[in-house]
Formats: sequence, C-alpha cells, structure tokens
Amino acid sequence: YQWATFARSWFVIDARMQPPGKIASMCSIRLQGKHKPIYHALSDCGDHVVVINTKEIAFSGNKWEQKVYSSHTGYPGGFKQVTAAQLHHKDPKAIVRLAVYGMLPKNLHRRTMMQRLHIFPDDVLPEDIRANLTEELPQPREIPRKLNEYTQEEIDAFPRLWTP
Amino acid sequence: MICEICLVLGIALHQRLSDMSLPRVSLFSACFAFSRDYHTGSNEGQKLDMAARCMLRSVWTSFSSLTLGPSASNFCSLQRINVPQLSALTIQSRGIRQVVEKREGNTITIEGKTVETPAAPEPPNPAAKCPIYRWNLQHKYNYTDVLLLSQFIRSDGGMLPRRITGLCAEEHRKIAICVQMAHRAGLLPDHRPKLPEGHVPKTPKPKLNRYLTRWSVKSVKPIYKPGLKWCKKRMDVGHPALKDNVRYSVKPLYMKH
Repeated sequence: YQWATFARSWFVIDARMQPPGKIASMCSIRLQGKHKPIYHALSDCGDHVVVINTKEIAFSGNKWEQKVYSSHTGYPGGFKQVTAAQLHHKDPKAIVRLAVYGMLPKNLHRRTMMQRLHIFPDDVLPEDIRANLTEELPQPREIPRKLNEYTQEEIDAFPRLWTP
Repeated sequence: MICEICLVLGIALHQRLSDMSLPRVSLFSACFAFSRDYHTGSNEGQKLDMAARCMLRSVWTSFSSLTLGPSASNFCSLQRINVPQLSALTIQSRGIRQVVEKREGNTITIEGKTVETPAAPEPPNPAAKCPIYRWNLQHKYNYTDVLLLSQFIRSDGGMLPRRITGLCAEEHRKIAICVQMAHRAGLLPDHRPKLPEGHVPKTPKPKLNRYLTRWSVKSVKPIYKPGLKWCKKRMDVGHPALKDNVRYSVKPLYMKH
C-alpha cells in the first residue's frame, strides 16, 4: 500500500463560469503537492492537473476590461500591454496559465510544475490524458441559475411580493 | 381646494359615465397624457375611491408635467396628506388587467379584462409599506436571486417605477443595482429589449462571462499603470449598497480586488 501514497495522480478541474484566480490557487496547491501529508519541497511530490473549458472562464467585477497583462519583448519600444479580454480572445489558455505561473513558488521547480499542468480551452481531451485522469475536483464557485433554468413549479412556488 | 374640485368633478364624471356604461375616459385627457391602464376595467366596490385616486393621480401627473411652482407644491403636499387614507383603503388592489382589442365593423373597443390573480400568501410583516420589509428580506437578497428580481422588471429588462411597485427608496436602488448585475451576468436572458427588425443576423462577438460587475462594460477603461502596493488602483467588485447583506461566512466582504 505504501507505493500508492507516492503515486502521481491526475486531477481534472472544470473552469466553466469560475474565477481564474480560484482555479489557479487550487492548481498550484496540487502541482506543488501541498495537499499531501508527505509534502517536502525537495521531494518531487506534485501531481498533474488538467483544466478544461478555460474559454468559458468568468471574471468578477469589470476585470475583463480593467485587468492589463504587460510584457516586454526586450527590444526598445517593445512594451506591450493587453487587456484580459484581448488576451483571452487571442489565446484562451493564457489567463489561467499566467495565473498559475504567478502562484507557484519562484524557483527552478516552477517550470517542471508548469509542464505538469495541462490546459484545454474546451472539453475535448486527448485519449491518453483522458485515460490517466483519477479525480475531478469540485468547482470553487457555485454557478447561479438563469431565469430560464428554473422550472415553472419553482417560479409559481415563489410568492408574489406585491400586487399592482 | 384643488383636490376637492377634482373629487367633485371625478364623482360627477363617474356617475355620468356609469349611466352611459362606456369605458372611462376623463375630460382632462385632452390636456393631459394618460396611460390606458388606469382607466380601463371596473370594480363594483370602491368606485368613488377609484375615481378619486385616478383623478388625483392624473391631475398630479399633469401638474408635475406643467411645473407650476407654488400650486404644484401645494397640491403635492395635499396629496401626501391624502395618500395615507387612500392607501389604507386600497391594500386590496384592482388586480392586473389585460388590454384586449375588439374590432366590430367600424368601431374598435379597447378593453381591459381583469385577469384572475390567485390569493397571495400572507407576508410575515404586513404592517410595513415596502414589499421587501413586509417579507423580511431586507439584507438577504443578491444578484443571483432572479426569482425575486424578476418581479420588479419589465419584459424588456427595465425597472418598474417605484410608485407602482411600492418599494422604498433604498430598496428600489438596491434592487436596480442587483438587476443591472444580473443582466450583465446573463441571468435574465429573456428580458432583452426588442430589436425593431434591425440587423439581427450580424455575427455576434463571443460573449465573456462575468459576475458582480459594478460598472457598465463600455464605460470602463483598462488600468495601464496600477501603481505600487500602497497606492494601487483597485478593481471594483460588487457594489457598496449591498455591503450590509447577511454573511454566513467569517470572511469579510471583499470589494476592492
């Protein structure tokens, strides 16, 4: 049984209508191995994490317009600033990847942990990854129901607050 | 004095019209703009009060639109004195009427047929004026409670006026804010404004999911220089009007991300 504790498991997280920050914190905990009681920074105990549906990620507030991702190519005049909405349009995986990269410890293990993170914009997974998945993690945010998702009985059961 | 005249006129009009048994059209309609809803349909009881209320409301709207200074203020103050009496009598409402149009040869009759509304259950606190206080929901609703918010909106997504719903000022503001946030989150997909046969099949841009948006999407500018930690330009989440909501977790409400 002792070998099962050192096994590297594969987690899957559905990022539909979820804030990317909360998804990234869950990913970083599992990539480092901090969810295991046998954690040690030097022992390579991180797990694989697969994030799906990242193109349906939901930011709270007005962050789609306000949040700016900046980078510099190194050349003069190469300072690029892109809003989260533009970046998501260009590459739907980038927001989650940058969020997880910023949450991992800033050492040389970070690159290997990022290699163990697999991000997919929709839920089409390659066969070999699908075969490896062991556990699905619960979503951090409860998705609110739209008005057309309520059944007519529930709508009728809700009392009318005022009459005209 | 003005309201007495209106009452007398209204009663006289009503008697004349009930003899003729026509749908009620006020003499003042030539001067003032009326909505049909107030004057169609009939109730056997409280005819006098109905007529008086209609007249008062009609004259009040007309005076407010004409903006006569001292007389308007007099009238408004008079109406405020009268309103408690009327509202105590008219907690039983006229009900919702559906406007039905019938064409018979040359004549078109537009009538409001009363729709039977089933008796609503007793609110826990019937003595309060505002419906939210009547049901003790003051600090308990959020943008996700679409069943509650949908009772105060029109079919194209706009809010109903306060004088119809009977909400107090703060609750009306809070509900308006929650309705805005629900619209931006996409929780009210059927309450969209009607497009007048415009360019509907234009390729729509991919919609981004969002929630708890305080500002309108088009009005927000990107924060190119966020600043250092002690003077950072924070991104607003949620709305300060909802900061007194009941919280079942220990964590404080975090509005500056």
